[in-house]
Amino acid sequence: MKRHSAPLVVLSLVAIFAGNLLAEEKCLLCHGKKDFVKIEETGRKISLYVDEAQLKHSIHGSRLCTDCHIDVVAIPHPPAKKVNCRRCHYSGNPVGAPQGELYDQYEHSVHGMEVAKGNSKAPVCQDCHGTHDVLPPDSTNSTVYKLNRPKTCGHCHIDIYATFRESIHGQALASGTLDAPDCSSCHGEHNIRRHEDPESKVFPANVAATCSDCHGPVGIAAKYGIKPDRTATFEHSFHGIARVMQNLLVANCASCHGVHDIRREDDPKSSINPANIVKTCGKQGCHPEATPQFATGKIHVDPESKESGILYYITKFFTVLTVSTLVGLAIFIVLDLFRRAKAARAKR
Amino acid sequence: MDERTPQLRQKRQELIKDLTRNILDCAEPHIDPATPPEELQKTTTQIEERLQFEANVALSEVVTRFSVKRPKDKIEEAVERSFERFGKNFRAQHMLMFLSVVLLIITGMPLKFPEYGISRFVIVTIFGGLPNSTLIHRVAAVGLITVGAWHLGYIAFSRVGRRDFWLMIPRPRDIIDFFQTVMFFLGRRASGPKFHRFSFIEKFDYWAVYWGMVVMIGSGLILWFKEMFPKALFDIAREAHSDEGLLATLAIIVWHFYNVHFNPDVFPMSWVWWHGKLSEEQMKHHHPLEYAEIIEKEMQALTGETPAESSEDKK
Repeated sequence: MKRHSAPLVVLSLVAIFAGNLLAEEKCLLCHGKKDFVKIEETGRKISLYVDEAQLKHSIHGSRLCTDCHIDVVAIPHPPAKKVNCRRCHYSGNPVGAPQGELYDQYEHSVHGMEVAKGNSKAPVCQDCHGTHDVLPPDSTNSTVYKLNRPKTCGHCHIDIYATFRESIHGQALASGTLDAPDCSSCHGEHNIRRHEDPESKVFPANVAATCSDCHGPVGIAAKYGIKPDRTATFEHSFHGIARVMQNLLVANCASCHGVHDIRREDDPKSSINPANIVKTCGKQGCHPEATPQFATGKIHVDPESKESGILYYITKFFTVLTVSTLVGLAIFIVLDLFRRAKAARAKR
Repeated sequence: MDERTPQLRQKRQELIKDLTRNILDCAEPHIDPATPPEELQKTTTQIEERLQFEANVALSEVVTRFSVKRPKDKIEEAVERSFERFGKNFRAQHMLMFLSVVLLIITGMPLKFPEYGISRFVIVTIFGGLPNSTLIHRVAAVGLITVGAWHLGYIAFSRVGRRDFWLMIPRPRDIIDFFQTVMFFLGRRASGPKFHRFSFIEKFDYWAVYWGMVVMIGSGLILWFKEMFPKALFDIAREAHSDEGLLATLAIIVWHFYNVHFNPDVFPMSWVWWHGKLSEEQMKHHHPLEYAEIIEKEMQALTGETPAESSEDKK
């Protein structure tokens, strides 16, 4: 580095004179060193190294350091403040930084609200999107690329990440299946809310709708051999009806299938495996009296489908009985009224 | 009965014979001479029977109006005689059933059609949520089960109940009545069939409710104590409960409401469910065979023909 210091000084002087700005090359004099660290009072070392190649490669590669670190105006500088992405990412910004509803949702999300409350552990933009390595979300190296999201969220939610990785969704994602859900498929992206929040995609009343994005009749379930009637049969069940009646004590998809630990039915660890289902139905507050014969048997039944056997024929029987009875009664009444009208006319 | 009765009876028989002869004499010029005498004899007997019946009716009219045996209700009886259709016990059964069924429908039907706003309005806004509405549904279900058990006891142990149940049993005659009614409606017959205590319409009503009670109570109990049964049976019970519930509701709205509310004969409402009585006019019109039987029995009681039997049946 030392060999190049003379031209660098000249260049930076030019830059300073030109716009009173600090050139990147000057910043990298210090921040380009891998062992450049700050030692906090607690003794913790914080690396202040910036990988120039990575920065150049990122979506912000053409920006200057001071475009983001606006509080740095002279060298040496006092500790820089945290970068505010909102400086560029706001509606109608002149530099063309992407901005939309999604970005605004962050402030109402659980993460944004915690930050606003002053929780220093709550994530800001950089915690998910990265700092000097920000990449567009469809880039496979991006921290918010679909396949990388669980790991990114797992930085903070480590237990959940461990559970999710073993679930059918986590495994599918690990094998590179882009149709499989990542964290944000269920929880949302910038609009992540607490599961107790009625606006949350995973609020008990909304779980069925969220799952049906994929497991509904128009979802991608059929592609992977999952029956597409799962949400329709749930809506038809008493659990589904109770949900419509705003009763949240009843089971939703997650109550039986699990949350981050959803597994295939034939997986012995699955909550809906025949060996475990009695326990699942018999949860406290659900059906503690559940017997094996109550819990086993087809759960998602469709009375309109011939596969349901006797149930299908009972449904058909009642349809025929109801229609024929009512048509018969209606004809009888109409004939009676017709006869009466005729008699009344004859009298006149 | 006093001693004159047998003589009076004989006198009446003679009178009837005279009248029959008179009628036949008047008809003679119009009768085809080729008519076989057996045919003529048959007609003569029929005319005699008819006159006998009319005489009974007329006599009972006189007796009920001027009887010295019941001076207290003489006046009312003379103006309008009423016949008991439903006793107190039966009316109480109907009332409990009515209350239970209305509550069951209100709390049950929204669950069959949860996608409609009115269903949510009824369950969430009116009843304050599913726990309340299902509790009310179960309370009403206990009411309906009570009616079912009560009615079974009634038809087993009450004399009126036993008699009515016997009369309720469908007979071949009902099929004939049905076709005759349809022909009458279509204008192919001058008049409809004559009914006894229960017409085929009323029998249909009764047995429809009977079937409905069996299905609804049976399936309802499976749903109530679902943990004791296999899931497959629960699914069947649920489908049957839901479908039969809709059928019963529609039958009540279409059929029962027509018969007891919108039918021009009773509009806006028949009050029989409340006081249990039919007027003589209604009896003659709707239940002529039962009416004839009652009058016949009263006559027999008055004339003392078979006192033991008639006193038993009078009640």
